[in-house]
Amino acid sequence: MKLTFAAIGAVLVLLSIFAYRTLPSENTDGKTRLVWVTDNNPVRAEQVALFNKLNPDLELVIDPANTDQQKVIVQSIGGVGPDLFDTYGQESAEAYVASGIAWDITDRMLEAGIDVPKVIWPVAVPSCVVNGRVYGFPCNVNANAIWFNKDVFDRSGVPYPKPGWTWEEFIETAKKLTIRDEKGRAKQFGLYWDFGATRDLVYQHGGRYFDPTLTRCTLDSPEAIAGVKLSHALMYVHKVAPTPTEEAALSTQGGWGSGGITFLMSGRVAMAYGGRWWLNLMRKQKGLRLGVVEIPYAKDKVTVGGARCTFVNKNSPKRELALRFIRFLASREYNELLNDQADALAPVMEYCYTERFLHNPEHPEEDYNAVWREVVKNSVPAEFCPFLRGGEMEPINTQLDLVRGGLKDPELACKDAARNATARIRRNARLIPHLGRLYRERTGMDP
Amino acid sequence: MTSAARHRRNLLIALSFLLPNFLGFLIFTLGPVVFTFGAAFTNWDLQGIEPLRWVGLFNFATLASDDRFWIYLVNTIYFLLGMPFAIAGSLAVAVLLSTKIRGLVVYRTLLYLPSVTSGVAVMLLWKVLYNPDFGPINHLIETFLGWLGFENAKGPAWLLSTQNLFALAVERLGIDPGQFGLGAREAIILMGLWGAVGGGNMLLYLAALTNVPKELQEAAELDGATRWQNFRNVTWPQLAPTTFFIVVMGFIGGLQGGFEQARVMTGGGPAGTTTTLAYYIYNKAFTEFQMGYASAVALVLFALIFAVTLINWKFGNKELNY
Amino acid sequence: MAAENIKGERARKFAAHVTLWVLAALSLLPFFWMVLTSFKPLAEVESPNPFPTEWHPENYRLVFEQVPFARYYFNSVFIAAWCTFLVVLTSSMAAYAFSRLHWPGRDHVFRLYLATMMIPGLVTTIPNFSLMVRLHLLDSYQGLIIPAAFSAFGTFMLRQFMMSIHPALDESAEVDGARPWQIFWDIILPLARPGLVTLAIFTFMGNYGSLFWPLIMVKSEALRTLPIGMMYFDSQYGRQTNVLMAASVMNIVPLVVLFVVGQRFFVKGIMLGSVKG
Repeated sequence: MKLTFAAIGAVLVLLSIFAYRTLPSENTDGKTRLVWVTDNNPVRAEQVALFNKLNPDLELVIDPANTDQQKVIVQSIGGVGPDLFDTYGQESAEAYVASGIAWDITDRMLEAGIDVPKVIWPVAVPSCVVNGRVYGFPCNVNANAIWFNKDVFDRSGVPYPKPGWTWEEFIETAKKLTIRDEKGRAKQFGLYWDFGATRDLVYQHGGRYFDPTLTRCTLDSPEAIAGVKLSHALMYVHKVAPTPTEEAALSTQGGWGSGGITFLMSGRVAMAYGGRWWLNLMRKQKGLRLGVVEIPYAKDKVTVGGARCTFVNKNSPKRELALRFIRFLASREYNELLNDQADALAPVMEYCYTERFLHNPEHPEEDYNAVWREVVKNSVPAEFCPFLRGGEMEPINTQLDLVRGGLKDPELACKDAARNATARIRRNARLIPHLGRLYRERTGMDP
Repeated sequence: MTSAARHRRNLLIALSFLLPNFLGFLIFTLGPVVFTFGAAFTNWDLQGIEPLRWVGLFNFATLASDDRFWIYLVNTIYFLLGMPFAIAGSLAVAVLLSTKIRGLVVYRTLLYLPSVTSGVAVMLLWKVLYNPDFGPINHLIETFLGWLGFENAKGPAWLLSTQNLFALAVERLGIDPGQFGLGAREAIILMGLWGAVGGGNMLLYLAALTNVPKELQEAAELDGATRWQNFRNVTWPQLAPTTFFIVVMGFIGGLQGGFEQARVMTGGGPAGTTTTLAYYIYNKAFTEFQMGYASAVALVLFALIFAVTLINWKFGNKELNY
Repeated sequence: MAAENIKGERARKFAAHVTLWVLAALSLLPFFWMVLTSFKPLAEVESPNPFPTEWHPENYRLVFEQVPFARYYFNSVFIAAWCTFLVVLTSSMAAYAFSRLHWPGRDHVFRLYLATMMIPGLVTTIPNFSLMVRLHLLDSYQGLIIPAAFSAFGTFMLRQFMMSIHPALDESAEVDGARPWQIFWDIILPLARPGLVTLAIFTFMGNYGSLFWPLIMVKSEALRTLPIGMMYFDSQYGRQTNVLMAASVMNIVPLVVLFVVGQRFFVKGIMLGSVKG
């Protein structure tokens, strides 16, 4: 028996040697490896290649499997964090700063002659500047508009949408483009509507999620309700956009992939609300004829914009080298590559005001770049309520999810969301000392 | 050698055998349990966004007023409803197999296969089987309904549906008649039955059945008892210890179950209807890293399991004396 | 009278066979569907006909091309093998102390130890995970193996097994001057071999399919096990149901083989695990 155990143990030790030797190694041909946690977008490869070409002593690799903010933080504390990681807005930026893993690079950037808040699109500032200090640089900036598939319009004999259209015109168009079979299963939808864009509709109706002091949820205001109602109506009243159930059934099988991009490409939807970065995928399908037009506006000409920013891990032993990547993000080479790739819009404003941006010689069919610049210019960042810590948007999201699923009346849901969220804000302010101070500062009242 | 010295020597020898296991036990079981008890009273958050401090019963107060906790508790209990059916099914199969049937090993192997292969791969399979529009299950149902004359009837939306047989409302505690139907919860329960009926419990019953003294049954038969009476009055009481064991283990497993199904098949949805306490703890602890709160929920779950097991003991012992 | 009885008995047997066949068919149908779908071209996945019109065995090759499936396989087997080895070793030692050695308070300690089996795993995972974070064992083989190297269930099962070995055996060896370690290795373990194999099969299967712990511990692709890999495969490439099913088939095959080969031990283990201590 002893022999059996010893033999098995020996085999396992041999296997272990094999297992460890075949793990990806840290150093490759004398280059230092930098790990960047970001999404696995196909265009990322070209951006990485450009950086590696400009920095022959470094080898930047991406890690797409660990993009969760919490994971990045915990892994950094556990010593297996990345060197560079992305943030997706004010909330995640502030969380990284609070957890102590974001490196303050204000002075380093100024030394390099880059005044970050001045050169980037204003909508991107809250995503990389926290309390006046710079922690990162945007990779790209995005705001949404309506994509439309010209072939689907032609097929149904519907004229292309025109700038400045109204919501009535929009819905009428979308209805003409929605086709259902005798069982009521839709073959084609007029619109793919990402319910996350409900916020855009709230904002363009003049509503906001919170009041200016960010101490009260205002989703129960008539403006906000009007926005949520419209978002709901697209799916459940006008029935021009797939409900979550219809969408899941459309996408779980058959290789279509999910989401508006593939639906739009395959002609299963005529229009979709999305960003310029959709071209990443859509350019692959040759002969696809697309157009872009701004979404109809109700009251204000505004959309919700956002930026993906890259931060440096303060605990990384290679942070000085990683900083070179941040400077790369501000460079002409990177910005022009990004605009050529159509990975949303370049973070540095001035590179979006060039002839090269408006008319990419390799893609003459893309005659709508001015629309993208316009929506990004008019976009505002999503509000971030500091009293709802780490994903505590729950009271709001729960209600919006119900609306999205067609399970609750939008008006009722808005009122419940506002009440629950405000209660949550007060409770957090009562219980958490520094939030209590902030609350008193902003309202002059006790929570 | 004195008796005391021998005792000490024996103890030392025993300890040397126990050492590895006990070390592991201390580090990975006992220590963590104690730790969890402490953590449940702190604001512990692995991300270090807020400084660590004691918060007393705050987590438990939050939990009591956390609608989601109660809804997920109901979900967890809902999934336990599959248990009686699974046990009855296992017993029925075991009874069939215990009749000195030919090909016992073949049947046993085939019936056991679903439970041996449970796990991610099989859950992914069921996810596809349940697809409302293209899955074979709905295809069968719709064909069948077609025969009955309901030409355009659609099968249930299964994993995409919040409906359930008890018409439980969505996202709140209560009843909503519109929610009556077959949905994600039933889909998961049915899949569980598929995996459980021929599984370990069936084997346990099979073993217990072969141990029922033949004389008792023969004596009852001589008294003119029908098969059912014979089963009800002779066999079933003899199976009581096994049933008791199965029920206790079923509760312990069931109350902390539902994680894999939720993670692999539904993401806890739609609208949280398949989120169990286990999945809630996972989300709180390992995606939001709110360790303090998650510890509190875990403790409540622990207390619940403990209480249910105690009740089972009391109730079960009575049954045994019967 | 007797003839009628035999007739009735036959009818009952026949009914039992029919019922069992129906149940067996229900058990197996999903597997058939899975295997058939794994050979379909993508375009036929939505078709109600369960059989592929043309067979595409290259779906299996595609699995290996799209993800490092071989690495997942290796990791699952490798980690499960280490866990199994360590569990069998530590459990058999503890079981020996609880069943064959005599020391004061033995049965009390055992009962207490047994009671810990009731603790829900979730109660311990939170501190264990944070321990792994502190020890910088996140995303490492050690972090996946070590916490799974100890099992109260294994100790319990092997104790049951060792209790049934006749006490005279080691007593006579002791009289001959054998040390406890010698008795353990040379007498008890060989006699407990069926128990060891049973525990090994159980532990291996459990760790091979384990989802929770690897899910929270693994970060890099090179360390993913099959369950984790399958899950990412489903979310990233899963629209190709045929290829996904091919991956599922390959995931399940080792379990089926192990079960069919080791069935004898398997059945025995389930019985043993339930005998009250």
